[in-house]
Amino acid sequence: MNCRKAETLLLRSADGRLDERTKGLLARHLEGCPACRKAEREYRTMFGLLKDGRDATPLPRFWERLEPRLREETELVPLLFWERWSLKAIPVFLALVVLLGGFLFFAPQAREMSQSAALLLEDRDPLSETMALYEADRPEARTMMLMFASLDEKTPLRRPTP
Amino acid sequence: MEEKQLVRLAQEGSPQAFEELVTKYQPKVFSMALSFTRNREAADDLAQEIFLKSYLALPRFHGKSEFGTWLYRISMNHIKDYLRKKGRAKEVPLDEVCELAFSDKEQAERAERERETEARRLLVQRLVESLPEKYRVILTLRDIQGMAYDEISQILKLSPGTVDSRLHRARRMLRLKLAPCFEGEGGAHELSQG
Repeated sequence: MNCRKAETLLLRSADGRLDERTKGLLARHLEGCPACRKAEREYRTMFGLLKDGRDATPLPRFWERLEPRLREETELVPLLFWERWSLKAIPVFLALVVLLGGFLFFAPQAREMSQSAALLLEDRDPLSETMALYEADRPEARTMMLMFASLDEKTPLRRPTP
Repeated sequence: MEEKQLVRLAQEGSPQAFEELVTKYQPKVFSMALSFTRNREAADDLAQEIFLKSYLALPRFHGKSEFGTWLYRISMNHIKDYLRKKGRAKEVPLDEVCELAFSDKEQAERAERERETEARRLLVQRLVESLPEKYRVILTLRDIQGMAYDEISQILKLSPGTVDSRLHRARRMLRLKLAPCFEGEGGAHELSQG
């Protein structure tokens, strides 16, 4: 066994992770190796000093000081939740407004409705309505035609001068 | 009441159940924080923040590991954050700390034994602080806190083999750092040769 291996075993031994046979081998090496015996002493001192820091008495009234903080944090949680989500909601809302605005701006304007379309929209028969309008217009048109015809008859014919 | 039951009640919002958990784990969490900060007030603040954090994170605890392991993992992460914020530990000038603990041997012999032990403990702690973080953490959990290998492996999410080798390296590094201080007693030896 060399000293490097012995050091590994020393550390395992400190953790209580060495079987009896290996312990015996290590002990035999330590008997004949002053350097490793020294290392063992140093490790023992080192572990002792490290363990000294283990027992620490906490400051008193730990829970009494912790409880109000817990209550305060628990009350804050919904607010924090809203704050976190509202921060994300603002850009989403702005994006929606921009999209809607763009759609309204660029969408083709609704054309003016024709009379027939308006009638159809009002659930009325456009054909009969049109016929009624035509019929209403016809006597007037006839009168007008007669008037123009009579005017034509009264007008003296002008002969072209030679 | 069983721990699992306490955890379930605490998750449902029972302050009494959480208080019991705090009472059970507070000494260990405080001691862990103290090992890294060496300041009781700072360690107390850290412990409070750790329990606060764990209380808020309780809904996300699904019982895949022991509650203690989960809590120590939160503790370790919080302590690491604290140490990072505080800034990297400066290299400790060995002459300075050795003088503090070992130099004036005659005076040390005359001084009270407790004071000497305290000085040595302080020396070791300062040397632990000067180790790189990954070694410092593992050495603190094992040799100061006395945690089991399995537990450390779960807390740090490292394989048992990595824990073993990293701890071995950390202990060697610490012993070599202590070497100048051991010189008065015959000196430390680098055991690299057969």
